[in-house]
Amino acid sequence: MDLNTLRKSFDKVGYICDESTLLTVFLAIDLQKPILIEGAPGVGKTEMGKVLAEILQTDLIRLQCYEGLDETKALYEWNYQRQLLRIQMNRSLEEEQIREEDLFSREYLLERPLLRAIQAEKPAVLLIDEVDKCDPEFEAFLFEVLSDFQVSVPELGTISAKHIPVVVLTSNNERELSDGLKRRCLYLYLDFPEVEKEVRIIKAKVPGVADRLSWETARVVSHLRRHEDLRKKPSISETLDWVRALVALNRSRLDGKLVADTLNLVLKTHADQQYFTKEIGPDGVEKILKSTDDGGDMCRCQ
Amino acid sequence: MPMSIMEKIPLGRDSHLTENLATFVELLRCEGLPLGTTELIDALQALERVDLSDRTAFKIALRAALVKSQRDFAAFNRIFDHFFVDFDVHQKRVEQSNQYQQEQQEQISLADQDLQFKGESLQLSDDELQQYSSMTQDEQSRLQDFLHKTETGKNVEPRFRPLLENVVKSHLRYCRNRDSEADNNASGFEGDGAGSGSTSADQNIREKDIEAIRSSDMPSAEHLLQQLSRKLAVKILRRRRVGPRSGALDLRRSLRDNMRFGGVIFNLKRRPKRRSKQQILLLCDVSASMKQYSTFVIHFMMGLQDVVRNLSCFSFAEQVENLTPELKGRSGLQHVLESVVRHSKNWGGGTNLGSSLEELSRKYPDYLNAKTTVIIVSDTRTVSIDRALKALEKLDDRVKRIIWLNPLPLERWPDYRSVNIIASKVEMWPCNTIAQLEEVLTGRL
Repeated sequence: MDLNTLRKSFDKVGYICDESTLLTVFLAIDLQKPILIEGAPGVGKTEMGKVLAEILQTDLIRLQCYEGLDETKALYEWNYQRQLLRIQMNRSLEEEQIREEDLFSREYLLERPLLRAIQAEKPAVLLIDEVDKCDPEFEAFLFEVLSDFQVSVPELGTISAKHIPVVVLTSNNERELSDGLKRRCLYLYLDFPEVEKEVRIIKAKVPGVADRLSWETARVVSHLRRHEDLRKKPSISETLDWVRALVALNRSRLDGKLVADTLNLVLKTHADQQYFTKEIGPDGVEKILKSTDDGGDMCRCQ
Repeated sequence: MPMSIMEKIPLGRDSHLTENLATFVELLRCEGLPLGTTELIDALQALERVDLSDRTAFKIALRAALVKSQRDFAAFNRIFDHFFVDFDVHQKRVEQSNQYQQEQQEQISLADQDLQFKGESLQLSDDELQQYSSMTQDEQSRLQDFLHKTETGKNVEPRFRPLLENVVKSHLRYCRNRDSEADNNASGFEGDGAGSGSTSADQNIREKDIEAIRSSDMPSAEHLLQQLSRKLAVKILRRRRVGPRSGALDLRRSLRDNMRFGGVIFNLKRRPKRRSKQQILLLCDVSASMKQYSTFVIHFMMGLQDVVRNLSCFSFAEQVENLTPELKGRSGLQHVLESVVRHSKNWGGGTNLGSSLEELSRKYPDYLNAKTTVIIVSDTRTVSIDRALKALEKLDDRVKRIIWLNPLPLERWPDYRSVNIIASKVEMWPCNTIAQLEEVLTGRL
């Protein structure tokens, strides 16, 4: 797939991104290197994996990382129940002694996401989501998979990838990942979008939204994100939820009161809502909407 | 470079590009980017896939392959913009370089004419002649006078020439050493060991009073703090081992362990009890008496923020300020320090621990619960100690634990009444060196 085709495919599935993102993703696919995407929650990191699976018309295999994740949940596990049944059956039928190799064969192997991805019949998209949430030990374990696209199962030996999957790792940047992991990946940082780009996202994802509403929502959200004291800045997905709710309420423009009334769709902690009431409030929103310093060219809203 | 690596480098396009890129990577390494040969190969392979005449695409491809953290973007952009310049700028630089070399050559030639003995040039290297050119007019005149007096003296023979050359060379060497020493002093450089990250230098800095650490030692100190942050993070993240009766039955492990008994379960395996996540709240005194320590603690906090999730950081003097968003922004130590210093109402002020703790409890109640360990870094010098004590007792009731890190050396503790009073109420440890900081945080937390 060349760069232009990829660009058109992104447009077609409605994933709005800049040239830098596009080129990095293209290089990752072409060089068959994993891509590590960092950025604040809700900027479209996980969505990238889903979108790539859609574009490449292949399976999305997702590994959600969490504290305590180990290889038995990520790579493979033996089907112990089945193995035990086989032993018991063998005993009751008084057949010849069962051999260890029979029990530790592919038949009794439960494939987990990593193994499934490298064993897939066509190149899959492997999404390793929130890799910063797993333990450093597991991160080190990923090295073999990400650099050589192979895994070692002691009882079976080394299993190499049939097809090299497109690997997308995402991180919320909550902790520093190891140099070893980073070294194996191309790096992409997704930031919150500019107002204009967010308007394009809104229009792509919420059909039928009024121009004015999309511009005003994007500008208010952009303004909120500049407040460093907010504990959780509104993400793109929250913007979209908000716009969908406003469309459902048949609103075509924002005002201070409407923002205050629907605030819980954008600011998700009580402390942030209190902060908004104290520091910005409906009057502050009116000022934001009147100002044009966000790049919100009002003539475009008509 | 090993042959196997050389084979991987795609040289088909342009070997000059490979050389240039290797130099570029070297410059990035000097800026602290952890780049190896793998990244260089990745970068070259990425460039194979983009239009080299498209500067933006060229830059994005290099950035994707070489930069692995958002905070390195600034350094990358700066070096890229300086290194990969337009043809016109490059031409101009080449012209400047040629002109400089020509000037140097002319100076060498003039120096050669000045430094003669009986009409013949002295046997001096280009470096020595260059050193002569860089000397002041007075110094040059003095050297010329010396040569003139020597050659016009009585009984001067041609065999004196090597002796004279040695004298001139020694003088030039002396001048060069003197100049280079002056340059080093101006840049705060202290020799090969300083800032090189060598083990002995690290050890010295570990044991040094934080207040006495100079700017030239900062790279080593920063490196040590980073290591300490990681060590502490591993400690916080480490899980408890499985005990024989510690939790619910783990069927999978039990079955696996009992396979050797033909599936008859003799040994039961249980799930480990989850260690509840520790929340750490770091409260750092940034008053006038604590400036140097505070710089270190903020740096340390930044390191921790990278690796520990449940960490919140506050500064205090007369009021409390939440530094967590600043530190999470990851804009680099210098930026954070500047921001703290510029915007903080506290920096360099007086200390009122009582009012600060009351404000912390009032404004940030969510941060204080039975899982929170509060680490206070302060020298205890505060106004209204009684009020501070009451606030501290109230805080102690709300949180799991309070650890007080005191940057005053242990031998000076008896001199301060506030130290004795607070030490009787909370766990207090001296931490006026990085080694002590490490000992307390890895041993006590």
